Amino acid sequence: MLKGRFSAMACPCEVLLDTGDRALADELTALAAGEARRVEAKFSRYCSTSAVSRLNAEAGRPTEVDEETARLLDYAARCHALSGGLFDVTTGVLRRAWTFDKGARFPSQAEVEAARALVGWDKVVWEKGVLTLRPGMELDLGGIGKEYAVDRTLSLISARGVAALVNFGGDAAASPRPSGAPWTVGIERVDEEGAASRVIHMTKGALATSGDARRHIVHDGKRYGHVLDPRSGRPVEDSPRSVTVAAGTCSEAGFLSTTALLKGREAEPFLEGAASRFWVTRESQRLCRLRR
Amino acid sequence: MAATETKVKRGLAAAACALLGQPAEAAGTFEGWDFDAAMLYYKEGGGRVSAMEPVLAMRRKFSGERFLSLKFTLDALTGATPNGAVASNVPQTFTRPSGKETYTVAPGQDPLDDTFHDTRFAFNAAWEQPLSRMSLLTLGTNVSFEFDFLSAAGSAIYARDFNERNTRVSLGLSYEHDMIDPVGGAPRPFAAMGAAGSKGAASDTKDVIDGVLGLTQVIDKRTIGQLNYSLSHARGYLNDPYKILSVTDRATGNPARYLYESRPEARTRHALYGQLRRQLARDLVSGSYRFYADDWGIRSHTVEGNYRLKPSERWWVEPGLRFYRQGEAKFYRLQLFDGDPVPGHASADYRLGAFKAYTVGLRYGWDFENGTGLILKAEYYMSRGDASAYPDLDATMFQAQYRF
Repeated sequence: MLKGRFSAMACPCEVLLDTGDRALADELTALAAGEARRVEAKFSRYCSTSAVSRLNAEAGRPTEVDEETARLLDYAARCHALSGGLFDVTTGVLRRAWTFDKGARFPSQAEVEAARALVGWDKVVWEKGVLTLRPGMELDLGGIGKEYAVDRTLSLISARGVAALVNFGGDAAASPRPSGAPWTVGIERVDEEGAASRVIHMTKGALATSGDARRHIVHDGKRYGHVLDPRSGRPVEDSPRSVTVAAGTCSEAGFLSTTALLKGREAEPFLEGAASRFWVTRESQRLCRLRR
Repeated sequence: MAATETKVKRGLAAAACALLGQPAEAAGTFEGWDFDAAMLYYKEGGGRVSAMEPVLAMRRKFSGERFLSLKFTLDALTGATPNGAVASNVPQTFTRPSGKETYTVAPGQDPLDDTFHDTRFAFNAAWEQPLSRMSLLTLGTNVSFEFDFLSAAGSAIYARDFNERNTRVSLGLSYEHDMIDPVGGAPRPFAAMGAAGSKGAASDTKDVIDGVLGLTQVIDKRTIGQLNYSLSHARGYLNDPYKILSVTDRATGNPARYLYESRPEARTRHALYGQLRRQLARDLVSGSYRFYADDWGIRSHTVEGNYRLKPSERWWVEPGLRFYRQGEAKFYRLQLFDGDPVPGHASADYRLGAFKAYTVGLRYGWDFENGTGLILKAEYYMSRGDASAYPDLDATMFQAQYRF
């Protein structure tokens, strides 16, 4: 088994390849890096020439998209429906109202409403390959982009006949090894005692982790995470610290982990039926700080 | 709550499949049942058979890629069906199967027996189990009840994949045992209708053995083909206990008497079926051909074509056409003639005659975002016999199917 490493999408990426052929491993690592960077360049809103940035710049006007972007938007639409409106790729704007700075107050209802007017997949017109955002709305495919890149990369490597595990900063997918032996993946999780790793064995399938790295806020007697519910415009109460989900593909796992965070207290029941395996970490009561 | 989450899982798997263009490999076990409920309404023209058929199918996955499938079918039929006699210029009176009553048919009308009220209940169970990474065994059982008929069957199918799962070869065998318990008893072959002693034993049986050899081949990224050969051998009571033949007086053209039909006690059937399906940019096109031959002399050809228009991920429309041509059985007779020697076997059952049939159909499918789906189907069927006295048939069929 050989390992390839590179940097992309602001995280350390690695591919574990079930082959002893070094030249092939180098080639496949380059293939993986190429695909990761291609997806990043195309779908990151931080990249000014990306398709997403172009769509955001054209907000207010109907814009045609290519076939791959169309598939991602279809997926985003399905995720929005399946999560009852929680999973929403237009929530980028909402985060500006909630800066969560030290000492910053909770925004007023008027400020939240102003931000909410520019948020909501239901306000988007998406049909027949043409997307129309309302002026001021922004698309952010951060919730599915990395996971999509993982699935795409694994599919390209599999097409070359090699079993692999693709891991982009904790979002991973694996194809089964001919020997039947499982891959070993370490999941970083932050808990009260500091950084720790959980080791997971998987023969095939995918993993994705979503987390809220900062401490909960207590406001008016309720505990909130930093994850924002697009329907109310407010932070989710009692959201888990981190959720790791195993599913068939990384895209599915990413949707489930992101949506589970947004379900707050209902994260476990939601994942019970919807995911194959999952791990939820919650902040313990006594370590939360009072914020004013 | 659990049911909703499982629908999320299914809807999500379908969404990921559309995004990535390939079916996802399950990372774990699915729990719960998948259901498929359907209701069919069938109506033949001319006061003939009407049927309502609710069906419930369920499937559940167990660990190790094993599946259990169950299916419950209820068939409620009413109406009348041709009894085998030919239309005549005079009114005709027939005895009901119970032997206790009669019914009369007006001149010029195709004689239909309207004592035909039947309810059938069928139960089917199948267990699928991988024997190795590339092979699969399916064991099945089928039980069917009607008030005058009971059938029980067991089957086994072995399937093996080759060429990185691009080729699948399957071999299936089944054995069926039927018990026929006709109203009024099983008629003696060629006995006169209504005469004393025309009914023989109260019940009779038949056994059927079937074998199927199948080949499914992925031809290219967008095309898949299938080829099947099947062989069937039935032995026992193969008559239809309610069907008769008219014995017509040549001079007057009127019926002299009616005789119960007589079919051989064995039947061997062969069928060869080929199908090709191709995925276009968004749409799907498929065509198939089936050739059938048996040792009763029947030969038939079926040609079918379907085109599925898929304007979006959400719904599709599929028109289809089917053409069927059947040649008659060696012993098929529209009627016998008085004074002629009685042949070894004879039947006037329209299903053994020579005819052409056309079916035109339209299906409409809708996939909901919560992972459920609906299919609506409408079909119009018409069959025209070669002989002018053949009871032609027009029928319509509607079906609604919901997957959840």
